[in-house]
Amino acid sequence: MKQLLGLLASLMLVACGGGDGASDPTPIPPAPPPPPTVSKAEAYQLLNQATFGATEDAAAGVIDAGLEAWIDNQLLQPTSLQLPYLQSLPRPQPIGLLNGDRVDVWFRNAIDGNDQLRQRVAFALSEIMVVSQLGALQQAPYALASYYDMLARNAFGNYRDLIEDVTLHPAMGVYLSMLGNQKPNPALNIRPDENYARELMQLFSIGLVELDIDGTPVLDDQGQPIPTYDQAVIEGFAHVYTGWNWAGFANFEFARPTEANQAQPMQLYPDFHDTGEKLLLNGVVLPAGRSGEQDLADALDNVFNHPNVGPFMAIRLIQRLTTSNPSPGYVQRVAEVFNDNGAGVRGDLRAVVKAILMDPEARPELPTAIDGKLKEPLLRLTQLWRAYDATSASGGYRFPAASFFFGQGPLQAPSVFNFFSPFYAPPGEISDASLVAPELQIATEFQNTFVTNFFFYQAFFQNHLNTGELQPDDVYIDFADEMAIAADPNALIDMVSGKLLGGVMSDTLRREIFDIVSAIPETDAALRAAETIFLIVSSPEFAAQM
Amino acid sequence: MNKTMNRRSFLTSGAAASLIAATPGVSFSQVVGGAGPFDDYRALVCVFLFGGNDSFNMLVPRSTAEYNLYAQSRQNLAIEQAALLPIDPLTPSATDYGLHPSMGGLQGLFESGAAGFVTNVGPLLVPTTKEQVLNGTATLPPQLFSHNDQQDQWSSLKGNTVSKTGWAGRMADLIRSGVSRQRMATNASLFGNNLFQAADETVAYVMGPTGPVRFEGFSSDPDNPGYAQQQLFQRILAANYDSIYARAFAGVQQRAIDAAETISTAIDNAPVLGTAFPPSQLGTQLETVAKLIAVRDELEMQRQIFFVAAGGFDSHDNQNEDQPGLLGGVSDAMTAFYNATLELGIADGVTSFTQSDFGRTLTSNGDGTDHAWGGNQVVVGGAVQGRELYGSYPLLEIGGAEDIGGGRMIPSTSADQYAATLARWFGIDDADLDIVAPNIDNFAVRDLGFLGG
Repeated sequence: MKQLLGLLASLMLVACGGGDGASDPTPIPPAPPPPPTVSKAEAYQLLNQATFGATEDAAAGVIDAGLEAWIDNQLLQPTSLQLPYLQSLPRPQPIGLLNGDRVDVWFRNAIDGNDQLRQRVAFALSEIMVVSQLGALQQAPYALASYYDMLARNAFGNYRDLIEDVTLHPAMGVYLSMLGNQKPNPALNIRPDENYARELMQLFSIGLVELDIDGTPVLDDQGQPIPTYDQAVIEGFAHVYTGWNWAGFANFEFARPTEANQAQPMQLYPDFHDTGEKLLLNGVVLPAGRSGEQDLADALDNVFNHPNVGPFMAIRLIQRLTTSNPSPGYVQRVAEVFNDNGAGVRGDLRAVVKAILMDPEARPELPTAIDGKLKEPLLRLTQLWRAYDATSASGGYRFPAASFFFGQGPLQAPSVFNFFSPFYAPPGEISDASLVAPELQIATEFQNTFVTNFFFYQAFFQNHLNTGELQPDDVYIDFADEMAIAADPNALIDMVSGKLLGGVMSDTLRREIFDIVSAIPETDAALRAAETIFLIVSSPEFAAQM
Repeated sequence: MNKTMNRRSFLTSGAAASLIAATPGVSFSQVVGGAGPFDDYRALVCVFLFGGNDSFNMLVPRSTAEYNLYAQSRQNLAIEQAALLPIDPLTPSATDYGLHPSMGGLQGLFESGAAGFVTNVGPLLVPTTKEQVLNGTATLPPQLFSHNDQQDQWSSLKGNTVSKTGWAGRMADLIRSGVSRQRMATNASLFGNNLFQAADETVAYVMGPTGPVRFEGFSSDPDNPGYAQQQLFQRILAANYDSIYARAFAGVQQRAIDAAETISTAIDNAPVLGTAFPPSQLGTQLETVAKLIAVRDELEMQRQIFFVAAGGFDSHDNQNEDQPGLLGGVSDAMTAFYNATLELGIADGVTSFTQSDFGRTLTSNGDGTDHAWGGNQVVVGGAVQGRELYGSYPLLEIGGAEDIGGGRMIPSTSADQYAATLARWFGIDDADLDIVAPNIDNFAVRDLGFLGG
């Protein structure tokens, strides 16, 4: 590390005297090969939408198969899981330490899993139907891993099954306090907990206001949006969600978490379920005297069949995968697929995911300034690691500090409102244009500095040259290929740009890197390679995806 | 800076008046920035309690009749009468009140006159009665009881109109011509981006709980080897990007590089504070704010608004277990912060105040509470006319005059009045208060008096 940084310091002195960039020779990029049916740039675009980061190997697969066949193949991949791995490990004390292994297996699946699209959609769902390690679930790592696996299994299933599995999962039960929620006790002014009732509707399914099929709010004759529910409906659903607790006990009041029941749906304890009438959405009233299972099934059907679900989920998933500001037409096309997959089935997420990725707006022929999105910071890291064969001496990706450096980690949001809001609009031209950029909410001056510094460490220190100085769990990248050609700055830039940007790079970035790399002695291939990787991976063009 | 200069020189020409005349709804002061320059230093410190603080367990009636109503409403969540920390307001009241037993620090500040409470305050568009709410004729803020919407209401005071700015952001815009020498943004957050500080013209700066971090390998010193790397990096950021997302990202990076060195150096050179802060999330942030206030002259600051926050207040369950730590944490951190401003000799120039999503239901859901509306807030500082309760504390009775169901209290004082009081002290002209607090004209009292009136 010190050696490399020392070289860097000497380089800076040289570069400082290098002076006027305009007088330097302009690098000439090599002539492009004839465009194949799917270009490398198109493959990178799809892979940045549908995986944990485009790589040249993955792009070759897309180019070979074609876009649609690649997606179809991904839709068939079996699920990479987390829970079996956690269960295979010794139980640490305190058990919450296992969350480090949970983050490790998340990275393993994200970096190396064959089910890239499934895992990417599961990650998106984990940011919509949020549970978090931060809080009571810290001591329930099996529940967290099981919850994530549940999302991955349902990623290409039906939304109705998904919300039932989410509702009954004990991780969600703990997180939004449906677990242990019981029927009213009027003598003690105790009434059912409204937490899950509210957030299922606001955040997981229909949102606060009535939507047209294209996702735009329906307005009343005063020009105001129309609320989807009121407090009475919240209370109705709160009564539905009574009587559920950890599975496997005879008595509600003694139900406790075990390793086994952390991965089992919550169990109904009928004596604690409210059997009165319950007001649901659209004026539907559940009759009195029914079981908790019946109430739950009908209540979830009531939510599932609300016309908002299609456009709501379309917007949420489009924002996570392809673009921050979909047009109403894009939302409508996806919502229509949600409403009917072509075979009369509502809620088919396999069809929805494919519709999102195959839509013309996901890959416009003439992109505008608002197409695409900012990458989530954690996905910038996974892309770098995938592109540079990252590994560690211990073989995994134990990086529990990921959320510290990147502002996000798997199932580590600060609240059920996720790391960032789907409505976040940074002040300036985005807000002025009434657009949004959710990921910009965590791209603060502070967090961006950490991300940039991490990439600095990664390029200059956590690399294959320093394995002797690294800790066993330190994840390092390998740039031996870059060093082999570093004598030729243009070839070096082409290689890194090819791996990280699919070869699409601005003239400014190329020229600046060319100048500084050319000022590094030709003999110092490592410094040339590290500098090039650092500048590209921390560039605005790598941070955004088209 | 160039932008400001251009705007100001533009405004001295005749063109400005005609432009403003042709722009309905925009006041002159809104365009020019009405206040300043200032001859003193003042800072507002917003302590946001995310999740919705159960503040009827923070400030509790202690007189037996009122306490019994409270205990009947709260049942297993009531604080024991004998455990409440007594407070003794200067203005006598028929009801005695006490603080949550974890808030000894705040009790001391109250009794010393450095702290006050604003009671049953919340977002309102107009004065609102229970009858209007129950018969559906009330004009209400949208989406009551929803976390993010009510955070937005407190932050923006926007009512039913879409607002892209917060009331701190609008204050920063109003005073910007008076504080053009400041070397740091008027609005600084130690807890991420927020609507409260979003503005049309000025840009809030986001640092971490212990301040900014420096960029590795960069330097703004031409004699340092990192200088070339930083210059190169900044040239890359300054390029023209087609994508609005890349442009916005580059803008954040540029601001980060510009500010990191200046502010980090200032903090590094700050005097060591004798006041000990609790090592909590909130204590750490407030300690950093105190350090920044200590170097206000070096940074040429005259007006600052800080945003700090703590989470975990959404006490749907385990409330009895969690509340002592939550409320004690607020009390300890705000007390240490006040003591630090005393130590720095600037207590009269610093006012800290709480905001939170909403109050919580008086009724229990078994082991916690749900989302409600009005609640109590704390104001602390040398300028605070402390040892008083402001506003009107309701009877905590289920089905009582202020309860719209389940123990959800209609606020008797609006968040606009709270904000306007703070804004006027900060230096906003009375004529501009409706820019900061858009609904203020709907309320008879524009200044609640807790900062001297």
